[in-house]
Amino acid sequence: MEQALVAEAKDAPKEADLAFDRLYRSSRDDLYAYVASLLRDAPAAEEVTAAAFERAYRKRNRFDPRRGEPRAWLFGIARNAALDELRRRGRQAELTAEPADLTAFGAEEGAEHDERRLAVSAALERLQPAERELIALKFFAGLENREIARVLGVSESNAGTKLHRAMTKLREACDGTA
Amino acid sequence: MEPPRDEQLIADLQALRPTPRPQFAAELDERAAAGFPRRSRKGAPAISFAKRMKWPEHPLRLVIPAGGVAVVVVAVVTALSVGGSGGTSSEAEPNASSGLLSQVERFDGHAAPSGAAAAGSSEAGVEAEEGSQASLAAPEHTLGSKVPQAPGSTAPFGRRAVERNAEITLAADPKDVDDDASRVFEAVHASNGIVMRSSTEEGRPGEAGATFELLIPSARLDDAMAAFSEIDAVRSRHEATADITAPTVTAAELLKESRARIDGLLTQLGAAETKEEQETIEAELRHERRHASRLAAQVTHLHKRADFSRVFLRIETGGGSESSGGAWGIGDAFHDAGHLLTVTAAITLVALALLAPIALIALLAWLTHRAWVRRERRRVLS
Repeated sequence: MEQALVAEAKDAPKEADLAFDRLYRSSRDDLYAYVASLLRDAPAAEEVTAAAFERAYRKRNRFDPRRGEPRAWLFGIARNAALDELRRRGRQAELTAEPADLTAFGAEEGAEHDERRLAVSAALERLQPAERELIALKFFAGLENREIARVLGVSESNAGTKLHRAMTKLREACDGTA
Repeated sequence: MEPPRDEQLIADLQALRPTPRPQFAAELDERAAAGFPRRSRKGAPAISFAKRMKWPEHPLRLVIPAGGVAVVVVAVVTALSVGGSGGTSSEAEPNASSGLLSQVERFDGHAAPSGAAAAGSSEAGVEAEEGSQASLAAPEHTLGSKVPQAPGSTAPFGRRAVERNAEITLAADPKDVDDDASRVFEAVHASNGIVMRSSTEEGRPGEAGATFELLIPSARLDDAMAAFSEIDAVRSRHEATADITAPTVTAAELLKESRARIDGLLTQLGAAETKEEQETIEAELRHERRHASRLAAQVTHLHKRADFSRVFLRIETGGGSESSGGAWGIGDAFHDAGHLLTVTAAITLVALALLAPIALIALLAWLTHRAWVRRERRRVLS
């Protein structure tokens, strides 16, 4: 649907604005989650998220739907911006942001839930940054495998294989933690 | 605690998903509604140096306009330099003769080795010949009575003997050929020149026309060519010069020696005592006089070549480029447009030839930078 919207957007500037508005609304939180996962710094994640949207907005008329989905295009822009920011700071990318606030999980869910999520969080920390990025794209941003492939510049099957390996390692890490 | 199953693991991961602050989300919504106006970047992370500097995000967007500006600059510079150094071609170029003149004058000042030696040794000889040539050089004498001798003849070239030839073609309407021919005669007489041959044809465009073979005093050639150029539209104009100093000097010196030998033989003849001796000397004298006569004719001919320039003048009609008596027509427009396009193409080609290496280097630099950025981005996550 989004592809069709963007295709229409190429014909009329107003349609392009509407299509971008829809893309923005459907991707705002997902994009922030992905960027925050990469940067592990909430203020910087906000800046980069805003800058990525701004850059995408300026380039919206140059988007070519034949080269991929609009979400993949948007996440590609955000990824470059986030990696440039990390590069500038000389940091190593880390997937999870600030340590998870377990009080936010809700008291009714119980201590077992909290313990398990802490274990998952710790297991994530033990993964390679690129593996953590894959998991963030899939489960934080909710991208399909073909969209992930487009963002990372790899084939869809390669993206699927890498994701499967990352999940396996995460599961093993969780097992180790458990 | 049991290890998480896949669904549970995914649910736990999603629960760990970072969420934006409500205040940030609201601000971003506002900015989205306003079309993402540009913000002041104070305190913001360096997402893009180019963006902060308000430079184009994509290097190509900087390279393309920069390349365009460079092409224009090089084209203008090339055009100016071409315009500044133009005029070497004498086609329809009023300054061509002056260009040639200055070339000859330079040559005169810094003569070529052989010419310089010849010139140095010849001055006295040439001057000495002037008086004694009168009786031997009848044609020159005849011409000399019509043409005021110069400062005349070889003044623009100093003491060098330079032969000049010129060819000029005028474009005319068939009905103007007679008038133009009359004006050619007037211009020749005004220059004290001589019409060696002339022919005029009447008829349709392409058939009608006139040809003239003229002798113009070299000192007045420029004035004459200017006068011819004003008669009608100039279709082409060519001039050439040749330095004939060396043969002139050689012939003059040989003539001087021959005359000295004649004088010596006359003295011997006066002192001869026997008839046989007298006959032998007289035979040598006849031979030497014939030799001197040939040399004198040669000297005269060479002087004439230097003093008078041969000019071939043609008046042509038809051919699509007649000027209708100077009026600018559609044919001229096509001709000018073609010329303009040719010049533009040539200038563009030169500009591209100059810019191609620069563009290649810029492209390589851009590709290298891009590859480096990609590698650095990959390294961040490795």
